[in-house]
Amino acid sequence: MSLRVVVNHEERTVASAPLTPLSTVLREEFALTGTKEVCGEGFCGACTVLVDGAPAVSCLVPVGLVEGRRVETVESLAVGEDLSALQAAMIETDAVQCGMCFPGILMTLTGFFSERPDADEEEIRSALAGNICRCTGYEAIVEAALSIRGAGAAASAVEAAS
Amino acid sequence: MSAPAPDGAPRLLLPTSLPEAVALLAETPEARPMAGATWLMRAPLRGETHPRTYVALGRIADLKTIEIGDAEIRIGAGATHAELAAALAPLPECRGLADAAGRSANRAVRAVATVGGNIASAGFAAADLVPALLAADAEIELEGPDGARRIGFEAFLTDRAALAPSTLIARVVVPRGTWRSAHARLPLRVAGDYPVAIVDLLAATDAGGLISRAAVAVGSVEPVARRWTSLEAALVGTPLDADAAAEMAKAAAGDFEGRDGADAPGRYRVQVLPALVQRAVAALAAQS
Repeated sequence: MSLRVVVNHEERTVASAPLTPLSTVLREEFALTGTKEVCGEGFCGACTVLVDGAPAVSCLVPVGLVEGRRVETVESLAVGEDLSALQAAMIETDAVQCGMCFPGILMTLTGFFSERPDADEEEIRSALAGNICRCTGYEAIVEAALSIRGAGAAASAVEAAS
Repeated sequence: MSAPAPDGAPRLLLPTSLPEAVALLAETPEARPMAGATWLMRAPLRGETHPRTYVALGRIADLKTIEIGDAEIRIGAGATHAELAAALAPLPECRGLADAAGRSANRAVRAVATVGGNIASAGFAAADLVPALLAADAEIELEGPDGARRIGFEAFLTDRAALAPSTLIARVVVPRGTWRSAHARLPLRVAGDYPVAIVDLLAATDAGGLISRAAVAVGSVEPVARRWTSLEAALVGTPLDADAAAEMAKAAAGDFEGRDGADAPGRYRVQVLPALVQRAVAALAAQS
């Protein structure tokens, strides 16, 4: 029997071996290259995706363990040309630089806000502890996250992601 | 069921019950158990090769439960760090173990990495849960082809590498009582680093505020975490005084021989122990 995963709301069949990292499957089988493979150790967060709605470092997830589960990547956030509230806020605060860590940061915060829509600054910084950015110093990223805090904004971010 | 593997690639078997997992491991000698996979997926980075077969434990619902009773807490080995931290949050005596679960690695790893996987990884010296469970006098319920048995946590740490792969950790049992606990860890960066040293302290005080019982466990300093018995003895009968405890720790730091690693040399790990003891005692004093 074949291995099936729901990727960005679409059921996909996986050809890779079950121990292949989910990040590799997303990039090489499905050409979803928004997910970055950087440290390969779960330290940097660049490969963060949502698995059943919760942030996971996809470099450490063997694809065989997500059989039948939902995976959302950064490509799922925008609907057509409409960015999610979080993506729009990142552009608004000029938070985006090289883009290597950014997909992971967006997925971490999207998952985090779906659980804690009213999180304060300290919680947001703590949620980002597993996403290493070497460009920005985080201030603009945190500012963007704070700007969409609150049920309405977070709900629209989640809605765009679902 | 199993996930199919192309020729030569390791297989992944996905049992849904503990007896089924034990049976699969017993009948497949080269198979090894896999929990959250965060440690095992990095085997190649450590120069280790994957076995031919992994038996994944994540679909065993029975392993996910955390039961909080009056006398003890029964933690399923498949509970994640995040689930354990959330379950222990209301329990004042469990601050140490809750912090060990809730502050290790980073949020995405805590959502996946399990209690059983953390304590089973014999090569992982910096595991946060290990010293926390040592200080808490936890016991381990093992399940194997010959049935279930319960062993103390220190015995488990001694035996774990030699246990048959078909012997699985079913539950971790933590006694409850009127004490306080703290988990002091030193990562070099905040962002998900392994701690270079960990001190777990669990202590009860008498009516006069003096320590009547103390348990201190040290993790990440030596290859395997262990109790700091000379410091425990020195602390009993003294008040919760962070500075005095740091002096006692300094005097007894020769008990440890630090392991050298890429993140820190062994002597540094030992050198920071008094500061971590100081933080742990201060945390306990603040909990009163």
